[in-house]
Order: sequence, then structure tokens, then C-alpha cells
Amino acid sequence: MSLNSRGLLAFEHLRMRKDTQADPEPEKKEEADPDNQAETAKEEEEKVEEGMWEETFKSHSDGKPNGPSSVSLDFSLPGVEHVYGIPEHADTLRLKTTDNGDPYRLYNLDVFQYELYNPMALYGAVPVMLAHHAQRTTGVFWLNAAETWVDISSNTAGKTVFGKMLDYVQGSSETPQTDVRWISESGIIDVFIMLGPTPKDVFSQYASLTGTQSFPPLTSLGYHQCRWNYNDQEDVQSVDAGFDEHDIPYDFIWLDIEHTDGKRYFTWDPHKFATPKEMLQGIMDKKRKMVAIVDPHIKVDSNYKIHNEIRSRGFYIKNKDGGDYEGWCWPGSAGYPDFTRADMRAWWASMFAYDQYEGSMENLYTWNDMNEPSVFNGPEVTMHKDAMHGDWEHRDVHNLYGFYVQMATAEGLIQRSGGVERPFVLTRAFFAGSQRYGAVWTGDNAAEWDHLKISIPMCLSLGLVGISFCGADVGGFFKSPSTELLVRWYQTGAYQPFFRAHAHLDTPRREPWLFGPENTALIRDAVRQRYTLMPYWYLQFYQAHHTGQPVMRPLWVEYPQDPATFALDDEFLIGRDLLVHPVTEEGVRGVTAYLPGKDEVWFDVHTFQKHNGAQNLYIPVTISSIPVFQRGGSIIPRKLRVRRSSSCMEHDPYSLYVALNPQRTAEGELYIDDGHTFNYEKKEFVHRRLSFANNLLSSVDLAPDAQFTTHSWIERIIILGASKPSKVTLKTADGQESHIDFEFDASMSVLTLRKPGMNSGADWTVMLQ
Amino acid sequence: MRFHLFIAAVSWFVCVDSRKIRGISSSYKRFYRERKSFLCIDGSKIIPFEQVNDDYCDCEDGSDEPGTSACPRGRFYCTNLGFRPHYIPSSRVNDGICDCCDASDEYNSHARCQNTCWNLGQRERAYVEGQMRTLDEGLQLKQQLIEEGVLLWREKQAQLRELQQVAEDLQIKLEDHRRRKHEADRRKEQTLKALEAGDGGLRLQNNTVSSMFQSLDSNKDGSITVDELQDKVALIHDEERSLSEDEAVALLGGGHQMDVTKFQHTLWDILTNGDSVKIKDTHGALDSVVDEDPHLKAADRAAKWEATNLKKVEEAYDTVNMEISDLRKKLAIDYGTDWEFLFLNSQCYKLKVYEYTYTLCPFNQVTQENTAGTEVSLGKWGMWAGTPKNQYSQMVYENGEPCWQGGSRSATVTLTCGTETALRSVKEPSKCQYIMDFQTPVACQPVLKQRGIHSEL
Repeated sequence: MSLNSRGLLAFEHLRMRKDTQADPEPEKKEEADPDNQAETAKEEEEKVEEGMWEETFKSHSDGKPNGPSSVSLDFSLPGVEHVYGIPEHADTLRLKTTDNGDPYRLYNLDVFQYELYNPMALYGAVPVMLAHHAQRTTGVFWLNAAETWVDISSNTAGKTVFGKMLDYVQGSSETPQTDVRWISESGIIDVFIMLGPTPKDVFSQYASLTGTQSFPPLTSLGYHQCRWNYNDQEDVQSVDAGFDEHDIPYDFIWLDIEHTDGKRYFTWDPHKFATPKEMLQGIMDKKRKMVAIVDPHIKVDSNYKIHNEIRSRGFYIKNKDGGDYEGWCWPGSAGYPDFTRADMRAWWASMFAYDQYEGSMENLYTWNDMNEPSVFNGPEVTMHKDAMHGDWEHRDVHNLYGFYVQMATAEGLIQRSGGVERPFVLTRAFFAGSQRYGAVWTGDNAAEWDHLKISIPMCLSLGLVGISFCGADVGGFFKSPSTELLVRWYQTGAYQPFFRAHAHLDTPRREPWLFGPENTALIRDAVRQRYTLMPYWYLQFYQAHHTGQPVMRPLWVEYPQDPATFALDDEFLIGRDLLVHPVTEEGVRGVTAYLPGKDEVWFDVHTFQKHNGAQNLYIPVTISSIPVFQRGGSIIPRKLRVRRSSSCMEHDPYSLYVALNPQRTAEGELYIDDGHTFNYEKKEFVHRRLSFANNLLSSVDLAPDAQFTTHSWIERIIILGASKPSKVTLKTADGQESHIDFEFDASMSVLTLRKPGMNSGADWTVMLQ
Repeated sequence: MRFHLFIAAVSWFVCVDSRKIRGISSSYKRFYRERKSFLCIDGSKIIPFEQVNDDYCDCEDGSDEPGTSACPRGRFYCTNLGFRPHYIPSSRVNDGICDCCDASDEYNSHARCQNTCWNLGQRERAYVEGQMRTLDEGLQLKQQLIEEGVLLWREKQAQLRELQQVAEDLQIKLEDHRRRKHEADRRKEQTLKALEAGDGGLRLQNNTVSSMFQSLDSNKDGSITVDELQDKVALIHDEERSLSEDEAVALLGGGHQMDVTKFQHTLWDILTNGDSVKIKDTHGALDSVVDEDPHLKAADRAAKWEATNLKKVEEAYDTVNMEISDLRKKLAIDYGTDWEFLFLNSQCYKLKVYEYTYTLCPFNQVTQENTAGTEVSLGKWGMWAGTPKNQYSQMVYENGEPCWQGGSRSATVTLTCGTETALRSVKEPSKCQYIMDFQTPVACQPVLKQRGIHSEL
């Protein structure tokens, strides 16, 4: 990588505005001090151009007290043809060259009905780009929260495969190269370069700068049922009952803005949600939870406690004239607390205390929407750049606003439990490091097939820059999905990290049971697949929390030397071991999935059929199909007793799915803790390594200094790609041996060990003889 | 292994009587009779009996684990002595939530479940008794309403017949008036023709040379010019065509104008007695004629009188027909097998929900009014939309005011049995789609009562 090789390092130096009042008389100076003459002459060379000190956009004007400002630098990446990252954009995983259009823009905006395959700015911004070729992965972290543009060009762009081959045959000396230019409106050039060389190295290098994914409560990895809006407590109760009636699990039910008293966050509508604690208790009785929205715009209303406190403490962002900044949002006229202030964040966090947030209980969590921030009557539906955060202009910190909102909210949820409980906070706006505070979603998408398809590259791109807890609104936010699209979206969402259905106020109801028994069954099946894999998802997040590796991964991350994987974004990996190619096209009868790994095998998780790696596999599909494969060589723990919610499954036994590779070995891990507290930081967990080799399957402790008692036991072990043993013996830590019953399916080479029964936290070995 | 099993079987045999198979109903006991082995109920597999309820799923159909959560498709039977027995999915066994009121589903969990069956049973019995009282009362009221409905129906039918009679009478009258009007018109026409033909000379004689000259002399300058002639005079055989300049000049005797003296001796004669040209017919001319002739005046008055009369009768006839069609439309609505819903037709029912007041006028419309008094239509009467078994359990009102995002508002009204007729609840689960609960005795069904007695208790 080389910097400034194209000489695009540039910056506008900060300067004082030369107003007649502000400047001392130049003539006198000249006379008095001839040394100044040269300087003054130089200054005069700079012509004052229009827009240098003030700009207008539509009816908005932007006072620019620091005059024109910007920074820029270029990076050249020899050998690189694939660059990724710089979310959030509704675009392919592999970034495109921008020679013939706008650069990729990073500027957090509340975009109404965003367009796909487009470099326009969306709700969040992470100024991190990854560059990859078969020998090396590197990364650039451009730490700047002002409006930023990224231009990408490449000397191989537009060349066909044939053209490239021709170059090769003719011995063309030109190596492929990608050139990138970053431009930010203000601030300094502050760049971190992650040198890799492997993708994993880049992830941990970046994690060392911005932190890793927060470890979410286990339940938040379950299914979330949301809608703008569930109308009242009775509505909530009947939707909750609907899930039981139709035997579909869910963990969280969500309330959008209509639950408040006139869009005053931290309050409840006095008629529709008159007894919130009663409602929350009803949900708690089913071991389920709720999320209520708390947006950062605060209704200007002298009868509203939150507003009065923020105003009297001077916590609001100020306009350029020093008054409290006011804009229009859901409540009408609203103020915007200055979340860049630590004292403001501390105060905000204290508002989540149970005695402050009336009607809240421990199973109520939070959703921060509109935190770009969204200002309905502002330029591009956001805040004026000349608004002031103390001494800083909004221009300088814009992309950080949402980050700080989520930070303060997550801190509030931690504090209310005395630091015991893990928070869950969903945010729409984000920045580098937002992974430390919770989950993000891809904003206001639409019920269209292309939006379902784009959810994959959008979440993959976020995962590459640290934000693993990502999802898209299942079903699509705007418009109404066809039944087929809804079913396919559930099937896709069930295999993405954050799994939440959501719908716009104006759309017809779409709870899973409203589309006839067949479709209810299809959706139930998809959600149940999610729940059987909860132990695996939880393990992935535990690992992401420790290492910064993404949970949902592009294939190239695990197969960095296989160019066939570099641009794939219609399939993905969860961790290392599950490959998912959801059906995202209407009416298709088959999909073609690329199974990577030259000497590897993959097992269809539904049929256990074995397929070789390094091939494009055509998979015939029906409406019930979700093509998912387990990597040969892996062991995945599942819980097959799918219950009402993941909390209900806490003590349930595990089934181990051991998929053998051609060398007849396999490895996996099992992680267990209480699922919701920070006690794992105090070494209260079980972390086991499960390995199969030489016909021995054993569980060894990966964290001997950790302590946790689990009631869960091993219910069954399913070995894929096995041969039939004559007997199977279990050896426990105390040296006792016992026989284990088994069944062998010769047609699929599947060996099922019946009820070995040992505790999941114990040492044990199973011998196949 | 066989030895192992054998031991297990023997020890099982010893304590067989003390062990109850958990989670099955008495009707399923026959499948779980004590044997060495157990055949999955779907016949798919035979397993050792000790594997029944051993917390591991062996049978595809889940039948070996009726009392545990091991099988994904299993079900657990809550005996619920004192209440109502029912099945729950196996996944609710020992999940920490009390599902069976006898607490039998949480035999191995942290949940502290109380046996609430007796209380529930009492409450249920009280509820069912209440329901039955309501039903009894409701059915009695319904009987009354049916009787009233029949009367009302007959009344409406009589009303219809009456109206039809009136219509018939009016029709006869109408024909009479049409005939009379026709007659009057004809008479007027005849008078007019007579005037124009025979008696016309008289009239025209009185109508002097000078008056005709004046009528031709548009600009009143004492002479008739070519233009004036072209304007006022037409060929008898070709009224549409105007005279050419040459023809006009010829009529003026070769000059371009003509004074009254010359007119009297030349053109006057041609116009009154000739068959080539005439004065153009104008309404003004006719009216002035009518104005002046008393016979014609009388005939015209008579025609106008008859026309007014006819119009009155026609209007009355239309009104009656409209009433008939309204009534027919009303009577064409399906008011139930015994016309029991007929009494609702002219009624409206209100309910305030949060900030809105809803009004249901059955078979007519549904509206919503906000606190500011603005009224919005949620739909007009559409149809019955209940189940095939009881189509009268639901009404649909459609094509209300258009919605912000397209489509129009609609309301679905579910009818339930109650002792009084009232709107009980209104919800808007999706934007612009309202569902209402409407209680009325006429929705009471005797069949409900039977079910209540036999299986619910």
C-alpha cells in the first residue's frame, strides 16, 4: 500500500474570517511593519470565492465560521482488485469503482425509501475499508466523523476476464491496482492502517482500535416481533397469545413511537398503555421481553420533565447564535441533547433507572431510532452543520451523534441493574465502534425482493468493520410483501444475526399466522430452525466479543486464497462452520451455491447429504427450503427442544452434530453461561472444546479457571459421514464406562448416539469401536 | 446389552403398578399397557418399554414421550381435575411456565405452580352459567325480536304493497294526463294551423301593408333594401337558403331599394299571394301572433296547464317509485332466516374508544368521529361475511373514506350473543381496517348452549 502516490494529499488550512470589523487596518500594519508585507500579499492571492464563508442548500444556509475546510488523502493498493467495507450503503459486498459517478458518501442520514445499488449515504457510517487479494488482506481506518467521500478506481475495472487473460498471456507488466481517495469536510487526517496479513489479523487489529462486538443477552439472538405500532396493551397481549396459539417461539415484542404520551420518550400513552408494568409482567410470565423506543429528539414542552431538565442543565445542542437548536421531528418542535458531552450522557443514562423511567421493568429494553439525527425540516433531513456542540461544530461530529446516543442508552441499561445485566440497545445510526453498544439494523427498507437480497451484502459489510449484530426488517418496512416474499424473508432472517420482523404503520398486519396454515407452518419452521441453533449463535457472539471476528462472514474471509469467493454476496457463513444460501428470488426452483474448500466436504443440515467442496452446487428448492450446509470437520451444538422463548430453553439438553471431514476428524466448541449477566467476566461460564479424532469424541475444558454449573446434558450425538461401529462406550471423568445405544443410517452414513446423558460441563470421552 | 435390558425390564416389572404413565389421557392408556416393549402409536418402531417417558425421543410421532419435552411433535395431556382437561405441546413441559392448572406439566422445574383447577373450574362454571343465563335470556329476547321482525317484515311488505298500489294508481293517472296533454297540444297546433291557413288572410289583412313594410324595413329608414330583404325573406321551397343579391334586386323591381308605395303594388302582392317567396318564420312572429289571437291564446293556456299537471303527476310517480325501490332494496337485504336482524335496520349504536366515537348503523354505514367533531366514513353496508356454518356472525362495511396510502376504509363487525344490543369494542389492527364487536340477542344460537352442557363441563 502506498499513500499519496497520486499526490492527492490536500487540506484547507484553518483561517480567520477577514471581516472589516475583525481585521485591524492592514495599511497601518504595512507601514509599521514591512515584514508583514509579503504575508499580506500572499493572503491577498487567495481570492474569496463564493461559498467560502457561507453556503446555501435549498432554503437552508450554512454559516461556515472556519471558512472552507477539508482534508484528503489517496491510497494505492497494488495487486488489489477487491475492496470492501465503508458501510452503510445499499450496495454489493465488493465495492465498485466510482469513476463514472458519485463517490461513496458517508454522512448519517434518515433516508426515505432508499435506493439500491447506489453509493448514496444511509443511516450509519464506518470509515473503514478492507482490501484483499489472495496473499494479503489490509485495512484503512480513516478516523473522521465529518461528511466523508470515498472515490475508488482500478486499472482493471471494466476489463473482461478474457482481457485479463490476454494481459497475462502477453506478459503485460501492469499488475492490478486499486486506488482510493478519502475526502472529509473537516477535521484532521487521522488514519490507521491495518496490515493483516490475514483477514483475521485485520479484524483483531481493528478491534484493538475500536473494540469488539458487545456480548448480547442470549435472548436477543432469538426472534423479535415488531410493528409500528402495536396499538395498546390488549393488542400486545393478543399478539403474544397468538405466538403461543400457533406454537411459534419469540423472545421480544417491540413498541414503536405510538406507545408514548405524545412522542415524549420515557412516557406511556395514558389510555392505550395505562398499566405498562402489568403488561411487562404478563410478558415476563411467559419468559419473554419487550423493547420500547427512545429517540433522541425531545419534545419542546414545558410540562415534560425530560425537556425541562435538559434545558435547565443546558444540555441541548445550540444553534450558531447560541440558542437551543430546535427542529421538527415526530413530536413537532424538538430539541436535540448534546450526546457528545459526557455529563449529558451520564444524565441520560440515569434516566433509565427504574424510579426515573416510570413503568419500566427489567425485561424492558431500548431502541434508539432517528439518531442520525433526523431533523424533518433540516438540510437533507438532518441537523444544520453550523449547530454547536460546545466549541465543536456539528459538521465535525455529525457521524458520531448516533454512536453516542446508543452509548449513553446502553450505559443506562447497565446502570439500572447495578452493573449486573447486559444491555440490549438497537440503533439505526452508527459509527466506528458502535459494535460495543448493541445491535444495528439496515433501516427503512421495503417489501421487495431486491431489498431481501441486499440485506446480505449490507450485513456482511457491517460485519467486516466490526459490527456483527446486524439485521434487516424481516418482511420489509415499507409496502406489503407477497406471502412468498414474507416466507423467504423469514427463512433468510432466521440465519442473520439480528432477526426482527417490522412493518410500517400503513401496512396491513403480517403476524406469522395471518397467511393460512401452510405459510404459518413455513414461518414456524424457519423460526424453529433459528432456535435450535441458539447455542451456536451464542458461541459465535462470545467469540466475536473476544476476537472481533465477524459472526456473519463473507466466504473469502475463511477462504482468502480462493478468488471464486471474493465477490460472493448471495451466500455467507455463520462463524466458520455453517454456510447459508437463502432463496432470495421469486418463484425459483433451484439455487446454485458455491461450496468452498478444495479438500473439504459440506453436509446439507436437513438431509445430511454430503457434498464436495470447491464446486458450484445446484440445489433444487421448494418453498420450504433453506439451503444450509455444515462444514465437514466441525461440531455444532444445538438444542432441539424448541420452546416458547429462548429463556424457556435454558436448561435444555444439547444435541451435538459432528460432521466429519475426509480425514475423519472434527472440532467445535460449546459455551454456556447464565445468558444475561456480566458474570462471564468473572469467569462464570463453561467453555469446552469438542474434538473428534481416531474414533474418539471428547470434551475438554478450554477455561479450567472458569466455574459454572449447568443443568444441561448431552441428549444425543449425531455423527455425519460416519461408519458403523460395533459398540460405543462413554467414559466419564470418574473413569466409569458405560455402553451407549446407537442407530446407524447406512444410506446417509449417519450415526446417532442415543442419550449419552453426561453433563454438558463435564469431561468425557465417547469411543466408537 | 441384552442382559442390561433384561435387568431393566425385570426391575421395571416390579414397580410397574406404582408408576403412572405421565401425560396421557385415559383413552390413550391402552397404548401404554405394561409390556416388555412399546410400539410407537404410528407403528413405526418398537422400543423397550423402559424407554417410554425416559426423556429421549425414539418415536417419530412422539408417542414414546407423552410426559416429557423430548419429542418435537409430542403433546402432553393435562388432566386438570376440577377444570377442563386439555393437551399442551410437549415443549411446554418443564419450561418454567405453569400451563396445566393441576401443575402436572412442571413436575421437574423451578416454577412453583399451584393447582388452580378448582378455582378455574368454579370460575369457568360461573362463567358458563352466566353465559347460559345470557343465552337463555338472549334467546328469549331473540324470539321476541324475531316476532317483532316478522311483524316488521309484514308491515314493510304491506307498506310496499301500498306503495305499489299508489304507483299503479298514479300510473293510470299519468296515462290519463299524458293523453290530455297530447290532446291539448294537438288542439293548439290545429288552431295555429287554422290561423296560418284560412283565417290567416283576415289576420294579415288587418295586418296592413304598412305593418309588413315596417317589419321588413329593419332600420326603419322608410325604404327596403337588398340586405333587409335577404334577411327577412325566404324561398318557399327552400327555406334554408337565403336570397341571392340578384334575386333580391329582382324582387325590388330591379332597384336597390323600395319605398312603401312601390311595395304595396309589387312585393306586397308577391309575398301575400305568390308561391315563390314568403316572410321567414320566426318565433317572435308566432308569439306575436299568439298574443294577438284569443283562440290561440286559450289553446296555448290549456296546453300549458296540462303540461304542468302531467309534470306534477310524473313527479309523484317518480317519488313513489323511488320509495318502492328503497324499500325493495332494504327488503332485499338478508335479515336472517327469521328476519331477526331486521329491527337493526333503522338503528345506530355508538361507542367511544380513546379519542374517537364510533357509530354503527347496521345495514347502512359505520362512521368515526373525533373530538373536534369531524366525521369519517369507515364503510357502507357490504354483506354478511360469517363462516359457512353461520354466515350471520360477521358483517362487512366497505368503501369508506379513502386512506392516506391508497385503498379505502372498511369495517368488519363480529356479532356475539348478549342480552342487549350494543357496540362492545372497536379496534384498528391495521391502518384503515376496523374490527368491531357487536353484541345482540339475535346473534344468540341455541346450538351453543348444547355444546356448553356436554363438553365444556
